[in-house]
Amino acid sequence: MGSKIAGKKHSPAGKIIVWVVLSIMAVIQIFPLVWLVDFSLASSNEMFTSGLLVMPKKIQWGNYAKAFVDGHFLLYLKNSIIINGLAVLLVLIISIMAAFAVHRMRWKLSGFVKTLLLLGMMIPIHATLLPNYKLYNTLNITDTCWALLIPYVAFSLPQALYLMTGFLDSVPIELEEAAVMDGCGIYRIVFQVVIPLLKPSIATVSIMTFLNNWNEFMMARTYLSSPKWKTLPFSVLEFTGQYSSNYAVQFAVMALTAAPAVIVYIILNKHITKGVAMGAVKG
Amino acid sequence: MKKLYGNKAVITTLILPGILVFMFAIFLPICMSVYYGFTEYSGMGTAKFIGLDNYKEILHDGAFGKSLFNSLLLALGFIFIQHPLAIITAAVLDKLEGKAESFFRCVLFLPNVISVAVIAYLWKFIYNPDFGLLNNILHAFGQKESVNFFSTENAIWAVLVVLVWHGFGWGMLIYYTGIKNIDPVLYEAAAIDGSNTFQTFFKITLPLMKPVIQINVTMAIISALKQMETVYLLTGGGPGNSTQFAANYLYQQAFKAFKYGYGNALGVIFIVICLISTVLLNTIFRKKKEA
Repeated sequence: MGSKIAGKKHSPAGKIIVWVVLSIMAVIQIFPLVWLVDFSLASSNEMFTSGLLVMPKKIQWGNYAKAFVDGHFLLYLKNSIIINGLAVLLVLIISIMAAFAVHRMRWKLSGFVKTLLLLGMMIPIHATLLPNYKLYNTLNITDTCWALLIPYVAFSLPQALYLMTGFLDSVPIELEEAAVMDGCGIYRIVFQVVIPLLKPSIATVSIMTFLNNWNEFMMARTYLSSPKWKTLPFSVLEFTGQYSSNYAVQFAVMALTAAPAVIVYIILNKHITKGVAMGAVKG
Repeated sequence: MKKLYGNKAVITTLILPGILVFMFAIFLPICMSVYYGFTEYSGMGTAKFIGLDNYKEILHDGAFGKSLFNSLLLALGFIFIQHPLAIITAAVLDKLEGKAESFFRCVLFLPNVISVAVIAYLWKFIYNPDFGLLNNILHAFGQKESVNFFSTENAIWAVLVVLVWHGFGWGMLIYYTGIKNIDPVLYEAAAIDGSNTFQTFFKITLPLMKPVIQINVTMAIISALKQMETVYLLTGGGPGNSTQFAANYLYQQAFKAFKYGYGNALGVIFIVICLISTVLLNTIFRKKKEA
């Protein structure tokens, strides 16, 4: 990596093209977000300008205070963290156990069961909204955290299983053999030998599961009715009706709702990029 | 060793949680959809068995046809606009190193970590005729009247722009990883042979990226079929079904038009279409690989 290879030599013209192309794409991707933050700090009257951005006379932090309180920001953030954290944990445990069962254990139906579970990847989530609504209603679990946890785990599982079986290949079977010699049972092999070796893949699966479910709102909107378990996207969804004419506060609630994911992304940028790339290429 | 790895009781306990979750959250609901697809049912009261009537109705349902057509448009938008831009950007980003590289990579992927809920409402404002960013840009270029981006003719394009914009970083990142995996020796050899940047890109980078492009194209087509959330919030499929997508349409039929039975029949057809498309795309690309 260290020395520049000949094929990547930089002519001055080439360098300019590189920067121009990247700058244009970056502006297209980022300017709407800059605009969002800019307007969230202005007052509603100041928005009707002909310029692209406004210079607020006085920075309106009050917009954020309103968004924070009336958007139930803390409650919904807490719900999102709890539900997504539990979903990640369950997906990890279930997928590692299942991956070990279909990939290492010897039984006749292992191939069939693996294919069956992977089939879930092809099923469109939104087609299950109708029957699941009915099902959860019958079981009386609408408006509980189960109504989100079950489908979140179920729809993240196929990809997790796929990644985990791939990663299991890289775990040397000799280590397991040694553990068996020492008298370990299967459970101890899975939880004490295999799991520590799967650390990088556990990170990838966690990131993919978290990214997939953190921003989900169709299921939440269909299965939940009271604020008790509502997740972060609801701050935005509910706000637009409440403050329909106060645009500035709506901008603030949008910026605020996006903030946790953006902050975490900036801090964990390297890991997330790697996780997504690994997950997508293998999935 | 063999005995240990063939222990039926151990296998059962390891695989059971996965199977239970699959059965309860995916398999059972599909069975329910198949059942309700044969009924006329508003969602309340009792379901009346009507045989294949719902499926006959789907054959003549223009809105459902429009949904599939819109998915096709979106897939074309992904393949011919988003992906070429993503590949070029990825190839260009590959020329940078250090801080500049991680800055651009971070910025280009950023919209992807933001919730569709935020993105959809943000773009509603960007398209706003009174203070929207896009109209202000058009005014700056001398356009007098504000454009109504959500008119019957424009709305589908407005939706496509948002989706192409939002998913750009994801595609770019995967292409970027693909390019990084190309053996640098090949570039060196090309440079020794006097190949210029464009020749290198078309003769080395693109051909070697073929498997990555195939995976990405498959995912783009499938996600175009499955599109729902952005449309649900941005236009609700309107005006008059002009921006309708299958998932959004079956949802509306069940919960807004109270045709729960019909919605489920649509769901069954929708699942079948997704399964067939996935299998078809995979076989096409696999055959090509072997040839």
